Amino acid sequence: MPFFLMENITKTFNLAAEEVQVLKGINLEINRGEFLAIMGTSGSGKSTLMHLIGCLDVPTSGRFVLDDREISHLSDNELSLIRSRYIGFVFQNFYLLPYATVLENVSLPTLYDEKKTDNKKKRVIELLKQVGLEDRMGFKPSQLSGGQQQRVAIARALVNDPELILADEPTGQLDDKTSREIMSILSKMHQNGKTVVVVTHDADVAGYAQRLIRITDGMICDQTL
Amino acid sequence: MNRPANLFSQSIKATFAFKLRAFFCIISVALGVASIVIIVAAVEGAYKKAFDIVEMFGPDAVIIVGGNDEARAVGGNKDKTITLEDVKAVRESFACAYVVVPVSMVGMTTVFHRDRKERTFIIGSDHNYSRAWSWPVVSGRDLAKEDVKRMKNVALIGRYLADELFEDKDPVGKYLFAGGLPIRIAGVLKERGTTPRGHNMDNRMVVPISTAMRKMQNEKKYVSMLRVRFIDQNNLEFHVEELRMFLRQRHRLHEGEPDDFMIISPKEIIKFLVALTGSLVLFIGIAGITTLVVAGFVLANLFLLSVKERTREIGIRRAVGARQQDILFQFLGESVILTTAGGLLGFVTGFFSSKLLVFVAQFPICFSWKAFAAGIVMSWAVGIVSGLQPALHAARLNPIEAIR
Repeated sequence: MPFFLMENITKTFNLAAEEVQVLKGINLEINRGEFLAIMGTSGSGKSTLMHLIGCLDVPTSGRFVLDDREISHLSDNELSLIRSRYIGFVFQNFYLLPYATVLENVSLPTLYDEKKTDNKKKRVIELLKQVGLEDRMGFKPSQLSGGQQQRVAIARALVNDPELILADEPTGQLDDKTSREIMSILSKMHQNGKTVVVVTHDADVAGYAQRLIRITDGMICDQTL
Repeated sequence: MNRPANLFSQSIKATFAFKLRAFFCIISVALGVASIVIIVAAVEGAYKKAFDIVEMFGPDAVIIVGGNDEARAVGGNKDKTITLEDVKAVRESFACAYVVVPVSMVGMTTVFHRDRKERTFIIGSDHNYSRAWSWPVVSGRDLAKEDVKRMKNVALIGRYLADELFEDKDPVGKYLFAGGLPIRIAGVLKERGTTPRGHNMDNRMVVPISTAMRKMQNEKKYVSMLRVRFIDQNNLEFHVEELRMFLRQRHRLHEGEPDDFMIISPKEIIKFLVALTGSLVLFIGIAGITTLVVAGFVLANLFLLSVKERTREIGIRRAVGARQQDILFQFLGESVILTTAGGLLGFVTGFFSSKLLVFVAQFPICFSWKAFAAGIVMSWAVGIVSGLQPALHAARLNPIEAIR
C-alpha cells in the first residue's frame, strides 16, 4: 500500500454559477520516502492538486487514502489534525509571522499538535542548527534574507516530524545560489527519510526529484522516473 | 503546555504586536469602564451614607412631626398637631414601643455663662431623651422624671457648648442663663460630631419638656415631635402603619383627608438620601453605557480590520494544524485581553476621578470589590460581544483563500 493514494480524483468549483472542473480524474501514488516533483503551468490544476495533497481541501469525487486511511470526506477539524501530524508546508513567499521571532515561528506547529512531547524547544533548536540559523533565534523575519527566511520555514515544516514535506515553489522568490542551497536542504531531508513533494514550474528544481509528473488541463499527462 | 495555554500565549503575543490597535481598544474601553466604576462606587457610597445616617437615627426608631408638607407650604401654624395627650396615649397603647419621648423645639437661643455667650439649640424633652437617641450622658447625671414633673431649671448640654462656655472646667452643677432663666447643668452629652450637612450636633441644650413649654414657649398643649422606638425592629413598617391609624383616629381625620402629621422612618430616610444621588448616578450611568457601546463598536471594527489584515497569518496557522476553534479562541482571547486591560485602566481612572468628585462635590463614594467586579465584568462583556463576530469571521476563513 503506498503512503499516499489518489484514485480518479476530481475537483469542481462553482464560479459565478458556472461549474468549473479543475481536476478531471487524477490517479497518483506516492510512496514513503519518495522525492516527487509536480510541474504544470498556471491554470493547469497544479495548485488545486497541491491543496488536496496538503489536506487543505477535499476532492469532489474519487478515493483519497493517506497512510491507510480514507480521508476524502473528513471534517475540517480532522483535516487540521492530519495536517499537523503528517504534513509540513513550505511556501513560495515563506509565510512567516512577521511579529514573531524565528524561534516562535518554528515552534508554531507545535502549538496545535496533540502529541505530548516534552522537548519541543530542544527540537526547535536542533532544527535551527540543521538549517544553520541557531544564532538567529531571536530575530524577526524582516531581519533575515530571503534564503534565511525559507530555511526558517523549512525548520517549521519539520518541527512536528511529519512524513510529508510539501513545498510549493520553494525557490520562486530566491536567486540561483540560494535556490540551490534550499533544494540541497530539501534533498537532505529526503535522504533523512522524509517524503518530499515539490510543486514547481522550474525544471532545475524538478531535477532534484526522483520522479516527475506533469499536469495539463486537470490531468496527469506525463510521468518520468 | 496544553492547547488553551498555547492559544492564550499566542493571543498575548499578538496583543503586543499590534500596538496601535491595543492603544485604541484600551482607551475606549477604559473610558466606559471608568464611568461604570464611578457609578457603582457612588451608589454604594450613597447607600453606605444612608445606612450610617439610619444607624445614627436608630434603625428601630421613628419620628412623628406635626403638620405635613402641604400645610407647611401654605404657611400658618398648622404644624402644631401633636399634643401631650397624644404622647400619653401612644405610650399607653403601644406595648411594642420601649421608648416614647416627646420633643419640643425651642430653637436657637443665646445662652450666657458669666462673660461668655453662645447661640445654641434648645430642646425640651423628658428623662428618656438620652435613651431615645442612644446618646449617653458622659458626666453628671441624666434628666430625671422629677425634673419634668417639677418643671426644674436643669439641662443636659452638648460637648461643644460645654467647651465653648466652660472651656476645660467641669460644667456639671454650674449655671447658665437662657431666656432670662438660670439653668443648672445636670450632665454633658457624649460628643456626636457634625452632620454631613454641617449641623453641629454637639451645640445643644436639653431641658425638661415642661420647663421648655411653660417657661420658654408659653405652650400648654402641643409638642414639636414625638420619638418612638420599637422593640421589634423587623416589623417596623407594620408598627408605623398602626401608629398612623392610631393618630388619625385620635385627630378625628376622615377618610380621604390627608394626615396632619408625618412619620419619618429609616426607610423614608434611605429613600430620600438615595434619591439625592440618583440623578447624578443616572447621568453618569447613561454616559458610561453610551461610552461602552461606542467602545464596543470601535472594538468590533478594529478587530474586523485586524482580521482582514491578518488573513495570511490565519492561513498559515490553519496550514500548520490550527482548527477553526483555535483561531476563534485566539482572536476572542486577544479582544478579551485588550478589554480587560481597558477595564483595569478604567478602574484606576475611575478610582482617581471619583476622589476628585468627592473633593469637588462632597459626593459620597465607597469603593469595594463590587466596583472592581462591575468594571471587569463589563469589560469582559464588551470584549466577548464585540470580539465574537470578527473572531468567527477569522475562524471561518477558507485556509486556501487565506494563504493565496
